[in-house]
Amino acid sequence: MEPSELKRSKDSPNSDESTRRSSFPDEVLERVLSLLKTHRDRSSVSLVCKDWYNAERWSRTHVFIGNCYSVSPEIVARRFPKIRSVTLKGKPRFSDFNLVPENWGADIHAWLVVFAAKYPFLEELRLKRMAISDESLEFLAVSFPNFKALSLLSCDGFSTNGLAAIATHCKNLTELDIQENGIDDKGGSWLSCFPESFTSLEVLNFANLSSDINFDALERLVGRCKSMRVLKLNRSVSLEQLQRLLVNAPQLAELGTGSFSEELTFRQYVELESALSNCKNMHTLSGLWDAKGIYLPALYPVCTHLTFLNLSYAALRSDELAKLLAHCPRLKRLWVLDTVEDKGLEAVGLNCPLLEELRVFPADPFDEEIIHGVTEAGFVAVSFGCPRLHYVLYFCRQMTNAAVATIVQNCPDFTHFRLCIMNPGQPDYITNEPMDEAFGAVVKTCTKLQRLSVSGRLTDLTFEYIGRYAKNLETLSVAFAGSSDWGMQCVMGGCSKLRKLEIRDCPFGNAALLSGLEKYESMRSLWMSACNVTMNGCRLLAREMPRLNVEVMKEDGSDDSQADKVYVYRSIAGPRRDAPPSVLTL
Amino acid sequence: MELQLGLALPTRNMVKGFDLNNHGLDQLKEMGGLEAWNKAAGCFADKDCVKSKRSFEQAFGNFTEECRTKPLLLWSGQPNEEEDHKDQKKATFSTTDENDAEEDDQVVGWPPIKTWRKKIFQQQQQPRVGRAENNRVAENENGRSIYVKVKMEGVAITRKIDIKLYQSYQSLTNSLITMFAKDKKCDEDDYILTYQDKEGDWLIAGDIPW
Repeated sequence: MEPSELKRSKDSPNSDESTRRSSFPDEVLERVLSLLKTHRDRSSVSLVCKDWYNAERWSRTHVFIGNCYSVSPEIVARRFPKIRSVTLKGKPRFSDFNLVPENWGADIHAWLVVFAAKYPFLEELRLKRMAISDESLEFLAVSFPNFKALSLLSCDGFSTNGLAAIATHCKNLTELDIQENGIDDKGGSWLSCFPESFTSLEVLNFANLSSDINFDALERLVGRCKSMRVLKLNRSVSLEQLQRLLVNAPQLAELGTGSFSEELTFRQYVELESALSNCKNMHTLSGLWDAKGIYLPALYPVCTHLTFLNLSYAALRSDELAKLLAHCPRLKRLWVLDTVEDKGLEAVGLNCPLLEELRVFPADPFDEEIIHGVTEAGFVAVSFGCPRLHYVLYFCRQMTNAAVATIVQNCPDFTHFRLCIMNPGQPDYITNEPMDEAFGAVVKTCTKLQRLSVSGRLTDLTFEYIGRYAKNLETLSVAFAGSSDWGMQCVMGGCSKLRKLEIRDCPFGNAALLSGLEKYESMRSLWMSACNVTMNGCRLLAREMPRLNVEVMKEDGSDDSQADKVYVYRSIAGPRRDAPPSVLTL
Repeated sequence: MELQLGLALPTRNMVKGFDLNNHGLDQLKEMGGLEAWNKAAGCFADKDCVKSKRSFEQAFGNFTEECRTKPLLLWSGQPNEEEDHKDQKKATFSTTDENDAEEDDQVVGWPPIKTWRKKIFQQQQQPRVGRAENNRVAENENGRSIYVKVKMEGVAITRKIDIKLYQSYQSLTNSLITMFAKDKKCDEDDYILTYQDKEGDWLIAGDIPW
């Protein structure tokens, strides 16, 4: 791709169009554009002129649809005739936390029907927060002979029977990635459905499932799929079984172990360690369910070249983590449980100078009695040792403004800052002041910030800061914060790049909602629940902005005039026709 | 690699007279007691729970501080009401069931942790950490212990105690009063010890021999 060629065309918008066309034949343009990969670059290119729009649409093979209701499958198929790979996202993100009613929608089936007709050569389907039934999975399995990759993340509506259909029929499957779904696990026999002649699998992730699978079938499958590079097992696979798999798959780049806790004889331990040390390509390690400290040293040979370590299923203590991290100098991404406490995080700061991403999950989020977990001290310790940190997700029970200011001073390159102080509305525990200055420091210092989740006691001042400084912010999550409409108005007015805004339990009302009137068409979506928005406010928004879908979900027993949950999104497909009775489209 | 191509499109002047100066912010809402938020997992998408979900102010209003004769609630945990009701996995921490929802302030979907991850927490055995939830007997360094959750009405924080350490209702009650006295100044005589049996019924402790 020659950036200079693009630039030249952009610089001469007033040139004679026919001259430009003849000096830049369509075939060349399509060839050049086929090298563009990201959907944002392609979207920009398609806006240049009609020729470029056409060249782009004929050369696009992958389409990303961030909101399945923003467009219809027919429209997509009409515009892009040569799609081989589709990524679709459905429900609002708060559905992960049970804030979206059941049967809300985002069913994939209508899409599959159109794809079967228009894209019979479809190879990849990646879904996030979509509803997919076993029937749909079966339909998928038999409708696309070239189908290669299926990835389901946070989806629901299906069972292991659907997976059996995929395993049975998709002869060219390279990827089966089942993550974090609401799956009805009816047993592990689906894995035995891969035919003995089947050898193409490269990615297999069934960590999400709990049932036992037929280990012999798995062992044979792994043995004959020589190109397998990602294998993520579920908890039912034992250490001894893991060793047997690894002996046949030393080429693995990503491994999710099963249970890491059974009793091993010394010889079994040595064999495991040996099998692991043969995995020279391994850069990602996860699983480690119920990990016992005494077996962790078996991982040391792998740790030296690990870049991503996911310990979020292993309740390690601080000393156990410290010992492990001493062997992980190249770590870039680390996920842990807060059982490691601040001391564990100090070890992170000391051992992992290349760290770019840290996620700390609470092991016991609903137990108030727990007074450990991690505090501001752990986060600060990491920031001193890991200046390259740019992505953090941190669940804690206490935080101070001063600590956050120090953190962002040490790590000014944050792109994703997601801080969850678990007690809603909790102030700085030392000064008792709101946490406004903390997030003020974040947005002032971290100019590259794209995603922000705020928590703690926050007044409108936080949102003034955000509106004034967070010029690159695209995603904002707010809960139990703010003082008045003014807060949200600041955000709507100041954050020019905002695409996704999700708000719950804040005192923002109709004035706030309507302040974004002209902004919502440039955003993907807005979610507001348990705020002060009324039905009339929503109706007004819907009336003024016909190209937005304004959906309200009412809760039983609530006031008729209140709009309990509001979901607003732009769409060229018009209001959706598959909404359940609990969802009103205005 | 994203090239970040862009075109200079006309921008609409959306922000008119935007004044970041503080011009009369509303009073900060009284947030109420910070410790007011009470955990106890319990149901999340469960329909009943959604009904009893508190509004923000209800959830964080102040507790009443008077001492009345209140039940000192003791329960050994019931299976968690799974949000999808699919399978009753063994819960590793006790929950209040619907009866207690009125006393407890349950916030749906908070903290923001994905459903499947919550399930993992519930499935995790943690004998190594030295605690056992519910009335499952756990082997740990101290020998067999039976931990139960205890809640005093009016106090947000639940405590856990090892019943095996006590020999009588009286010694248990005394110890509990002492423990909770840190949070609430109350007279011993004002409190009654109750517990929840396997059927979910609340009974006054003392009727059955220790």
